[in-house]
Amino acid sequence: MKKRILVVEDEESLRLLYEEELKSEGYEVLTAGNGREAIQQLEQGMPDLIILDIVMPVMDGMEALGRIVGKERKIPIILHTSYSGYREDFMSWAADAYVTKSADLGELKDKIRVLLEKGKAR
Amino acid sequence: MKNVLAMILAGGRGERLYPLTRDRAKPAVCFGAIYRIIDFTLSNCINSDVRRIYALTQYKSISLHRHIQLGWNILSAPLGEFIGVIPAQQRIDEHWYQGTADAIFQNIYTLQREMPDLVLILSGDHIYKMDYRKMIALHLEKSADLTVAAIRMDRKLSREFGVIEVERDWRIVGFQEKPEEPKTIPGDPEGILASMGVYVFNTEILVKRLIEDARSDSTHDFGKDIIPAMIGKDRVFAFDFNHADRGGTGYWRDVGTIDAYFEVNMDLISVTPQLNLYDPQWPILTYQSHHPPAKTVWAEEGRMGTAFNSIISNGCIISGGSVKRSILSPKVVVHSYAEVEDSILMEGVDVGRYAKIRRTIIDKDVQIPQGTEIGYDLDEDAKRFTVTGSGIVVVPRWIRL
Repeated sequence: MKKRILVVEDEESLRLLYEEELKSEGYEVLTAGNGREAIQQLEQGMPDLIILDIVMPVMDGMEALGRIVGKERKIPIILHTSYSGYREDFMSWAADAYVTKSADLGELKDKIRVLLEKGKAR
Repeated sequence: MKNVLAMILAGGRGERLYPLTRDRAKPAVCFGAIYRIIDFTLSNCINSDVRRIYALTQYKSISLHRHIQLGWNILSAPLGEFIGVIPAQQRIDEHWYQGTADAIFQNIYTLQREMPDLVLILSGDHIYKMDYRKMIALHLEKSADLTVAAIRMDRKLSREFGVIEVERDWRIVGFQEKPEEPKTIPGDPEGILASMGVYVFNTEILVKRLIEDARSDSTHDFGKDIIPAMIGKDRVFAFDFNHADRGGTGYWRDVGTIDAYFEVNMDLISVTPQLNLYDPQWPILTYQSHHPPAKTVWAEEGRMGTAFNSIISNGCIISGGSVKRSILSPKVVVHSYAEVEDSILMEGVDVGRYAKIRRTIIDKDVQIPQGTEIGYDLDEDAKRFTVTGSGIVVVPRWIRL
């Protein structure tokens, strides 16, 4: 079974990029353009991991994070943002990882692998 | 104390205090004629110089909001002081608070905004006088992550409390919620340390542990989940209430039931009550509307307005009736030839002529018609009112007799 990852990202070009990159890593990829869409997606079915941008219109990632962990306590979530300052927000500590956006997706991919492994053990 | 933020859990339903809690949350229940239960915790804060306070409310909160708004608007906002009321607002999640820890977690944005060094977590349900500064001093001295206030109780009562197990230096090494076989105090095999639901947390640790708890299967309760999870991982200490007890009598009550409520109130009319409300160094503040002073009228043979061994609040008129061993809130009127004994009458109660009231709690604004007897025939009373195991009758608010 392929692992399913939900990518929540408002910028379409980035969304497509991440989708392609993760598909080539062997994952099934779902996408959402903001927090609200992400929560709607979750009602259809649970992915194995969520990658969450923070600065997005309609509903930002920090608010979506609270709502998601309130409902689905154990799903691994990676905050993926261009800004490092959100690390100081208490709510960001509710994510399993905090990755600052970079052209090199190595760190993101590593974190995904580690968290999915951990998820198996749970 | 400016780096301390107090969060008072004031959402308790107090179901065992029904019908006193039919229209109000437990912290808003009247106590000692003029107070609400939460006044004791709020007064402890002010007297301890803790002046950044949030009360977290949930069920039936209007009465409590009103009381705090009217009576506790006493701090200085320009100095950064406040008493705020935060209703359950589903800021993070679309459900009501699932436990004491969830109540704080759901207000994580408030912690973010206030950014205190320490968070003092309190319950709005208890009656006691405590100097929180002493506990905070110990917390800092021990470089603790969490300090839990503890009071010695008889081991037979272990099933009513969270029981703390300590080493000799009072580091907490175990915590059992309502155990049958409790761990006793070192050197005191008949005593247990009961948690008072008073916690001092380092903010960062609190947030981390709340998040871990929020993301796990848990009842989201400080006693059942957070404290046990922290023992062995963090520096968790107990603090002996005796070191901060302003009354010096070890007085701490969870007024959990109607019978307990009755007893605790009645203690106040004894010659030397265990709970001293007269300490000028530790005033208990409340909201009071303005009324003329209490008075008695009529002094004729058989028609004497009298009150013995009782608390009589402002606005009361004992008009040719007699009051013994009772507690009268403001604006209670006892008409001619009526007898009130061993009872608690809340604000605005009117006792008609020739009525006889014994061992009864009458909630606000109830009109007792002429000649009514309550507390004399409990079988008859039970048809209309709540009657407790020990025979206390409760006449609820809004009842028309």
